Amino acid sequence: MNKLLLAALVTGALSAPAFAADYTIMAPAGPGGGWDQTARTMQEAMQAEGISGNVQVTNVPGAGGTIGLAQFATQENGNPNALIVGGYVMVGAILTNMSPVTLEDVTPIARLTGEAVALVVPAASDIQSVDDLVAKLKENPGAVAWAGGSAGGVDHITAGLIAKAVDVDPTQVNYIAYSGGGEALAAILGGQVTVGLSGVSEFASQIEAGELRLLAVSTDTRVPGFDAPTLMEEGVDVAVQNWRMVAAAPGLSDEQKAAITADVKAMAESATWQSALATRGWVDTYLDGDAFAAQLEADKSATEAILKDIGLVQ
Amino acid sequence: MTTGSSSRERRPDGAALIIAAILAGLAVIIFWQTSQMRLPPLQQRVGPTVFPYVIASGLILLAIGTVISAMRGSFPERSKDNYAPIFWIVGGLIGQILLLSTAGFSIGTGVLFACTARAFGRGPLWQTFAIGTAFSFAVWFVFAKGLQLSLPAGVLERLLTTGTPF
Amino acid sequence: METFDLLAQGLLSALQVHNLIYALIGVTLGTAVGVLPGIGPALTVALLLPVTYKLDPAGSLIMFAGIYYGGMYGGSTTSILLNTPGESASIVTALEGNKMARQGRGGPALATAAIGSFVAGLLATLGLAFIAPFVVKFALSFGPWDYFALMVLAFVTVSAAFGDSALRGLTALFIGLGLGLIGIDLQTGQTRLAFNVMDLLDGIEVTTLAVALFAIGETLKTASDRDQANTEVTAVKGSVWMTLEDWKRSWASWLRGTFIGFPIGAMPAGGADVASFLSYSTEKTFSKKPEEFGNGAIEGVAGPEAANNASAAGTLVPLLTLGLPTTATAAIMLAGFQQFGLQPGPLLFANNAPLVWALIASLLVANFMLLVLNLPLIGLWVKLLTIPKHWLYAGILTFATLGTLGANGAMSMGFGPVRISFELVLLLAFGILGYLLRRFGYPIAPVVVGLILGPMAEQQLRRALAISQGEIGVLISSPISITLYVAAIIAVGVPLILRLRGQGGVLRQLATDED
Repeated sequence: MNKLLLAALVTGALSAPAFAADYTIMAPAGPGGGWDQTARTMQEAMQAEGISGNVQVTNVPGAGGTIGLAQFATQENGNPNALIVGGYVMVGAILTNMSPVTLEDVTPIARLTGEAVALVVPAASDIQSVDDLVAKLKENPGAVAWAGGSAGGVDHITAGLIAKAVDVDPTQVNYIAYSGGGEALAAILGGQVTVGLSGVSEFASQIEAGELRLLAVSTDTRVPGFDAPTLMEEGVDVAVQNWRMVAAAPGLSDEQKAAITADVKAMAESATWQSALATRGWVDTYLDGDAFAAQLEADKSATEAILKDIGLVQ
Repeated sequence: MTTGSSSRERRPDGAALIIAAILAGLAVIIFWQTSQMRLPPLQQRVGPTVFPYVIASGLILLAIGTVISAMRGSFPERSKDNYAPIFWIVGGLIGQILLLSTAGFSIGTGVLFACTARAFGRGPLWQTFAIGTAFSFAVWFVFAKGLQLSLPAGVLERLLTTGTPF
Repeated sequence: METFDLLAQGLLSALQVHNLIYALIGVTLGTAVGVLPGIGPALTVALLLPVTYKLDPAGSLIMFAGIYYGGMYGGSTTSILLNTPGESASIVTALEGNKMARQGRGGPALATAAIGSFVAGLLATLGLAFIAPFVVKFALSFGPWDYFALMVLAFVTVSAAFGDSALRGLTALFIGLGLGLIGIDLQTGQTRLAFNVMDLLDGIEVTTLAVALFAIGETLKTASDRDQANTEVTAVKGSVWMTLEDWKRSWASWLRGTFIGFPIGAMPAGGADVASFLSYSTEKTFSKKPEEFGNGAIEGVAGPEAANNASAAGTLVPLLTLGLPTTATAAIMLAGFQQFGLQPGPLLFANNAPLVWALIASLLVANFMLLVLNLPLIGLWVKLLTIPKHWLYAGILTFATLGTLGANGAMSMGFGPVRISFELVLLLAFGILGYLLRRFGYPIAPVVVGLILGPMAEQQLRRALAISQGEIGVLISSPISITLYVAAIIAVGVPLILRLRGQGGVLRQLATDED
């Protein structure tokens, strides 16, 4: 057994020569999820493009990324080689979990990708359009069971925003939380809930196969490849994007921050990253500097407002 | 688990009464913590406090049952345990927990290894520590370097893989 | 039939010599890592998956199949021989298997586990090939009310693992249920019983609890127990192989385990652990010698091991047909499949037919390889018991802490330069709990069962009542849930009636239950 393991590790070790400027990327989630995949794709792109010789990915799962964030902020202070992947889900989780560590305690670098939340119903449902759904919701909010990810996440926020936009009390939203898109998908396909919410890519193959009907997407523009309107087009004034970003450690100098931003930008523009985006179906929404900081602020206050409306945050 | 005969009379059973007290204590903690929870005004028929209250109530009943059982002396006869080996192993685990971040996986786990061997009567410590550290380093090398498992590295790991202790 | 043609083609490619070698390497690696105490299948697959990336798609697929089945199987060996399950699905295997090993019957226990895993793997993989669409339809029809009924059935039957005292069994179960409360409540995002510790927000990791209670607790108990510390274990008493009697008692258990494991593995909220619990209690019910349960009944190894492996194949049903990962292992596999160019989902069988059939053929080959590799090794594995205790247990603790560190052991707390892993602190605390439970005659398994089933039951009940807007009737509104409740009533009622008839008097029954 040891011989085989040794053989495996020799091949592994040879493929990673040691350079300077070695980054460590923390994925504040378990292996296999979106943040983990983002971190590992970054690792691949940075190594392939020679931006960094040796990139390590660590996983610290739990609580919408706030466990990893707290650990990152306290342990990496001033370390210019440490990065953490995060996203919109973290903004909500920080508020609902009353996390002592927030995004103020790290140095956000850039937004990398974005994904629309898809609003779907089973193919057999009598709901044909967003209008039908809104009518049902106005008639009896409790009778519309929404399935999505954990409470306070982007799916829950989208449901709350839709209710609010059509003048339904957001606390009346009958939101059923499932752990992960998979379990929610099963409940939607099984017809146990009225409507489902999750990232477009989670539902893509079911939509393509005609088992789910895509009512609308949550972004302000349509999603290429899907024949569905935006919520705005359907007269519901909601625009949500589930973005992913990369942040650096707290306590960095402006030069260090600029150097990291340059590396991340080079990575995001590289052919390796771009082709990975295409295979994984991620949309490039790269944004850095002041524009990203402004967008982050806007998202934070909007999220806090809706979470208060839903009743999850006081 | 039970050894020996159960003919010896021991009632009431003091240890069992302590267990009952611990169970009741757990129930009180659950009751108290749950009562402190802020309930969101959501559409919830069964909220997040129902299960904690049910489980805490169950623990209270079990504590009462344990008291009755202790009074009757109906707990199984306990083996006579040596406590020294337990202190060695627990000490080894604590040593490992404290040493991992500074001394690295191999030395930290070497301490655990040596203490565990000592608990089973094998010494001397310096010898089992050396064996344990070497073994842990081999394990560390296979898992951390070969399979990319994230395990803490210390001076020894760095020295043996890169040639410098930093 | 087209299906047979496709499967035959897949088998032809899988049976080429170089692919067979890949399968052998995969099975060996999977077993070698999976067998380490404290390292479960999810971690095994996650660790070894990258090894397969370096091969061509067919080769990596087949090596992956080997790793998956090898990792699933590997855990049973240490559960049986050392009472140190690396994950929740091997816990019931340890219950009877370790008792058998202590009586010198480790060989037959390992053999019935290996052959049972093979039989279950074979049938379930064929099931995956031929009836996946029907199974997935059945699995999807389970609503939260049905899952809740399934949990009720599982809770009721858990008493099969209570040992000789209902009081102590229930206490162990409630300790587990209490631990299950810790963390963020999924439905409302509120934290419960986390005491402002960040690491508790996500709840108690089942693997950490299982490894602590079994591996650490067992080590502490063995070291401290004067009787146990000095006794030499007889590694083999009688034959290493299964006797005719063993075969007679095992074959039906393998089949029952398969039929329980495959559909439950396919359910979005099922899983190998639930399947193995249900199989264990089924075996106890059907056994002609129920009195042997708790003292090394071979059915109690054969059934759950078959269920465990069948559910591993069952997990692939929603994964391949819906792109739905239902376990941690499956989530890691999904990432792996994408590397191979497989896009799991309803169109997979239509768009990627050759690769899917190559995978299914690979699973069949890997399953066979596993048997070929492991049956001859049983004699060697049993020798594990002859390793001097000080080296053996020092090694067990090394791997138990390694697995915990690797899976969840981030150095999250610290005082100055010294940082400590909270997960290892939990491991130590639960290890001491495991020792105390053993010392005072409490069963271990119900604690882990409570931690697994409690949160599932709570979430499903609350989902059901939310969907019905508080209408309690929803719980018995479907044929599936009614059937499951009837099964639960029979499971409790029949043995109780039989016992009451035998012993007479409800009071006497309750009094004896107390002991």
